[in-house]
Amino acid sequence: MALGITACALAGLPAAARAEVQQLPAPRASYLLSCGGCHGLDGVSNSSLVPDLKDQVGYFLNLPEGRSYVVRLPNVAFSITTDEALTGLLNYVVFTLGGASVPAGTRPYTVREVAQLRRRPLTEVSLLQLRREMVRTLIDQYNATTQLRRYGEDDYANQSPP
Amino acid sequence: MTSHFDELSERLTRNLARFSSRRGFLSKLGAALLAAPVLPLLPVARAANGEQPKTDFERNAQAADDTKCNYWKYCGSDGVLCSCCGGGHHSCPAGAEPSPISWIGTCMNPEDGKSYVIAYRDCCGKPACSAGKSCWCDNSDRELPTYRSALNNDIIWCFGNSSAMYHCSTAALIGAVK
Repeated sequence: MALGITACALAGLPAAARAEVQQLPAPRASYLLSCGGCHGLDGVSNSSLVPDLKDQVGYFLNLPEGRSYVVRLPNVAFSITTDEALTGLLNYVVFTLGGASVPAGTRPYTVREVAQLRRRPLTEVSLLQLRREMVRTLIDQYNATTQLRRYGEDDYANQSPP
Repeated sequence: MTSHFDELSERLTRNLARFSSRRGFLSKLGAALLAAPVLPLLPVARAANGEQPKTDFERNAQAADDTKCNYWKYCGSDGVLCSCCGGGHHSCPAGAEPSPISWIGTCMNPEDGKSYVIAYRDCCGKPACSAGKSCWCDNSDRELPTYRSALNNDIIWCFGNSSAMYHCSTAALIGAVK
């Protein structure tokens, strides 16, 4: 709890520092407004309820179906934004937040690719199962972190009563 | 000189009329120019360009007192202000825990007219703060209906915490929109 309070206090800025408020580039502002509430300011929030992006999302780009999965996720495909802005946002998420998890030589998403993929949203599948199967492959064959398994874990089973 | 110019422009206009169809490129360009202001733009872009008319909240916003509902960072706040409960507009009162999952929007600072990114975090794990009526706010700038729940302020954002009990609401400044 103490840690949480510190994190909260740090995220805000005292009034005196207003003149030095951080200027947010477009893809970062777009990430914060479209994704950051749930995924966290830097790609981590509650890891069992919302998938971590920081140092993890890049692993999915090892697989062709993982590369398209990231765009075809309903909240990505149906986001209220243009193909161009969504492409910038996705490249920010993968290459900046994803950090070292991105495979060497991965090419950025193009507007054309994103425009085509988001028109085929993943609406008729079990997203959890699809992700679980990809995560298994990524951990077994691509040396991905086992932290990918945190999302979807039953946190309630490990909780102490209030 | 004038007549030469007149002749030239007349010839250009006549040629344009003769060789362009009504369904051609020019008419499409004209339609696109007409439609441009109607096409949806990101709220950030509109706010940043100063094209957006001010909301009721923005017309009455102030930057001096964060224990009042019209403090500018509360433009999308719905709940009791943590600044009335022993916390601040960006920090939780002692014993309450900030929600890691929240919603994020933008508010306009009346002092410089610019848009800023604000994270609306709830403070959780304690019973609701019993502050006076003036500390209970119901603002809704750039909030979306419940079917777009990621940007909705009727949700108790404590569901990602160890205790989902709602105590109060904060509005943390994250940065300025370039």
